[in-house]
Amino acid sequence: MSKKKHDVPEQTGVTRRDLIGSTAKIATVGGVVAAGVAGVSPAAPEPRQARAATEAGSAFVGPGQLDEYYGFWSSGQAGEVRVFGVPSMRELLRIPVFNRCSATGWGVTNESRRIMTEGLTPETRKFLESRGGIYTNGDAHHPHMSFTDGTYDGRYVWINDKANTRVARIRCDVMKVDKIVEIPNANDIHGLRPQKYPRTGYVFCNGEHEIPLPNDGSVLNDPSQYIAIFTALDGDSMEVAWQVIVDGNLDNVDADYQGKYAVSTCYNSEMGMNLEEMTAAEQDWAVVFNIARIEQGVKDGDYTMHQGVKVLDGRKGSPYTRYIPISTSPHGVNTAPDGHHIVINGKLSPTVSVIDVRRLDDLFEDKIAPRDVIVAEPELGLGPLHTAYDGKGNCFTTIFLDSQVCKWNMDAAIRQYNGEDVDPIVEKIDVHYQPGHNHTSMGETKEADGKWLVSLNKFSKDRFINVGPLKPECEQLIDISGDSMELVHDGPTFSEPHDCIIVHRSKVNPNQIWDREDPTWEEARQQAAKDGVDLDWGEDVIRDGNKVRVYMYSIAPAFSLETFEVNEGDEVTVYITNQDDVDDLSHGWTLSNYGVAMEVAPQATASVTFTADRPGVHWFYCQWFCHALHMEMRGRMFVKPKSA
Amino acid sequence: MHLRRAALALGAAVAILAAAAPGVRAASAAIIEVSPGGSALQAALDAAPAGAVVRLAPGVYPGPVTIERTLTLEGAPGVILDGGGAGRVLTVAAPDVVVRGLTVRNSGTSLAETDAGIFLDKPASGALVEGNRVENNLFGIYLHGARDALVRGNEVIGNRSLRMSERGNGIHLWAARGSVVEGNTVRYGRDGIFVTTSRKNAFRGNSFSDLRFAIHYMYTHDSEVSGNVSRGNHVGYALMYSDRLRVFDNRSAGDRDHGFLFNFTNKSRIEGNRVRAGRDKCVFLYNANRNVLSGNLFEGCAIGIHFTAGSEGNRIAGNGFVANQTQVKYVGTRHVEWSADGVGNYWSDNPAFDLDGDGIADAPYRPNDLVDQVVWRHPLAKLLLTSPSVRILRWAHDRFPSIYPGGVTDSAPLMRPPALGEG
Repeated sequence: MSKKKHDVPEQTGVTRRDLIGSTAKIATVGGVVAAGVAGVSPAAPEPRQARAATEAGSAFVGPGQLDEYYGFWSSGQAGEVRVFGVPSMRELLRIPVFNRCSATGWGVTNESRRIMTEGLTPETRKFLESRGGIYTNGDAHHPHMSFTDGTYDGRYVWINDKANTRVARIRCDVMKVDKIVEIPNANDIHGLRPQKYPRTGYVFCNGEHEIPLPNDGSVLNDPSQYIAIFTALDGDSMEVAWQVIVDGNLDNVDADYQGKYAVSTCYNSEMGMNLEEMTAAEQDWAVVFNIARIEQGVKDGDYTMHQGVKVLDGRKGSPYTRYIPISTSPHGVNTAPDGHHIVINGKLSPTVSVIDVRRLDDLFEDKIAPRDVIVAEPELGLGPLHTAYDGKGNCFTTIFLDSQVCKWNMDAAIRQYNGEDVDPIVEKIDVHYQPGHNHTSMGETKEADGKWLVSLNKFSKDRFINVGPLKPECEQLIDISGDSMELVHDGPTFSEPHDCIIVHRSKVNPNQIWDREDPTWEEARQQAAKDGVDLDWGEDVIRDGNKVRVYMYSIAPAFSLETFEVNEGDEVTVYITNQDDVDDLSHGWTLSNYGVAMEVAPQATASVTFTADRPGVHWFYCQWFCHALHMEMRGRMFVKPKSA
Repeated sequence: MHLRRAALALGAAVAILAAAAPGVRAASAAIIEVSPGGSALQAALDAAPAGAVVRLAPGVYPGPVTIERTLTLEGAPGVILDGGGAGRVLTVAAPDVVVRGLTVRNSGTSLAETDAGIFLDKPASGALVEGNRVENNLFGIYLHGARDALVRGNEVIGNRSLRMSERGNGIHLWAARGSVVEGNTVRYGRDGIFVTTSRKNAFRGNSFSDLRFAIHYMYTHDSEVSGNVSRGNHVGYALMYSDRLRVFDNRSAGDRDHGFLFNFTNKSRIEGNRVRAGRDKCVFLYNANRNVLSGNLFEGCAIGIHFTAGSEGNRIAGNGFVANQTQVKYVGTRHVEWSADGVGNYWSDNPAFDLDGDGIADAPYRPNDLVDQVVWRHPLAKLLLTSPSVRILRWAHDRFPSIYPGGVTDSAPLMRPPALGEG
């Protein structure tokens, strides 16, 4: 147990509180009992949930009220990013990223398919030709926003794809993905974090699984020839700036507040290929990347080219890296908002190890030994995975096996390490169940404000009514503004957020509607110009051999064309421009029995291409509710059979 | 019977004694006597025939020393292998080696290099490590992929000058299937016994104190933990991610966080164990499923049992929960029954009667009702447990089961705790 005051077994409901209240009354009747028992009532802890609701603590966001924070949540194997309001924990938006989205047509529209393919390697594009042209799954773990001067700047959110080795960028002005790039020479991307200072800058990406380089089949079951690779992606151009080969593998990563270093964890220094081999070593390590030295190495030509990327060798003994021994299988890496400390979370060790970044210069100059950069190593509990911060010197670490969040004090941990008899643990709180990542409001920036903590728990088990064998995850909101952590909300989520960030709403300023000059539909703009069509006000059918281009605009409740006709076998492209310019007046375009549907938000253009190989009358309609006569917003495509 | 030959090798005072061993096996055992001096010991080990007994005279022998053939290395009081604070002191890299009666001390302190007093490397299957004093090393005895070893009756004392997180474990097993670790005493390490990815082993009758975890257990199935004693450690027995364990007759006294911690420990039998006076929890069951807990005594902790994370299908009967501030911390919304075949558990705070004298209380027991909380906060209220007001409260509680969002019921509470020996 913790130092936490002993709370009652967690039970719910007002009835219970009422009953506790009545305890005193009944006890008072007991006469002599009163002295012993009546005094209990005020001290009896009330159920936490009841308290949050009834006292209208700041977690309660009433109807019509707005949240103070945006939460960007990943979704793991669902492949998308979700936007939450925090602290209400209301889900506001899903941004399709690596997935195929039925609602928005992501993966169907020409605009999304361009984004999903243009950043792939030529080899992957060819591989996908016989598989529908795009990947339709992803495994999205770590969403992180762009930084300027150590805090969020609201430009972009990046997210990794562990499944198909990609990184995507979301434009926060429109909350859509504008770039997806495949990272060459890696087998997956796990850890991802942007450079915090002076700006992003680089997006650091960890290749977790080890593979031969090149992975062309010339080496198979010979792990001695496998490598893992660290990637710096240019966050502006979304091109790979450089890569560094490391010893061991790469798990999570974070950057410092000085723009000098990035630090990654390694859980497989053994380069083992099974559980036994991977747990053999007593210690793995954190590897530190020296950005200035790597950039100089690139300038000096100290690299080899692999798949068009400059690859440096950062294995042990290189000037580019240093390896800091950490107890076996460390996991999360979290830089503290004090700007000086990076916490490496122990996972299989009950400890976290604190690196002081001010010692890293000396480490790279070989003036000190690798372990000399460790300035604290508190024992927190079983299975520490990730640490978040309140900006007041306290740290909040998820401890997976104990299923708790441990609040501890950085300064006390350092003093303890220096021999002082002080306990750095402030408090522990149970979470339900088995927490992975956690995040505090603004906690990975220098503006950490110490208000909210979200614990992303891997199992909900019995926390919600049973929905069958596949259960939701359980995101728990904890109020950390007081001396004591208060669990205030359980939020179920579908498969399977790994991580989130909590961004003050002042940082994020999305557009209400699209700008007609937006580059997203530049291809449509150019094609319309070639066809002599006004894209904004199209009501044209352009035949170009067996290709047909259909231009329409939509104003509720009608499309500009009621019908159009094509021949069986034609390749048809339909361009829809939403000319409504009112907030929230999205249209859609669904073509019945053709598997075609897409979203067209106000002032946007979207397009889709298909082969009209099914003759007959086919209704198209608006599937995104728009108007009282939404049902009437429809039209017909005639497909004339070849035989006719 | 011994044929003595002059031992000239390397100028060391090495005596080789070949034992004819009449009436035993055809293979004869050579007895080689070694005295301190230079690298005499390593030379003798390298030159010894298979099956030899290398016997050391009292004195200090510098490490590192490596055994690369099957033999017995035997000491007596005053025989000291000293690593001088660098590297591993004694490495065994051959099968069926016996290491007995030595003091092995002062390894290096590199965790990365797994500096150890006695290091059994992968080839060292079937080793017997017995009756040694293993002192002031980073790791005491390290079984690194060595199978079927017997580690018995050693005294392992860690390096106290290091921070706990920088120490090694007393006895460390990795991929060491079929090991038996029994009758050892471990103090001042990080963990007493740390084991991972090893199956079918037994830890019996060991004694642990002044450690982080007495036994730290990961990915180790089909094994036995019995008759051990843990005193004053952070955690007694942390048994995790392992199936089909037999955990019996162990003792935990004054362990700080948990007497026993079962985390994803499944299909195991946990019987006859006793936890006393833990600061926090006697036993913590977390997502541990289909286990049998019976005949255990959990006494005098802040929490008797913390049961959570949807631990399913556990049979909890015949145990005693005595004088814990909170007898049960149940976190969950399901209803679970903690009795089996008409036999429940003993609850020291249960004010029930047994009018028919069958040893089973006449009314079900539900831990953590409101009265429990009153009694926990105000122990003096125990005097009033049979008072009308308390009965009214319990009666009200029983009338309105809807106030339970799930919870523990013992339908057949025992009137007496299980009888266990002192420990």
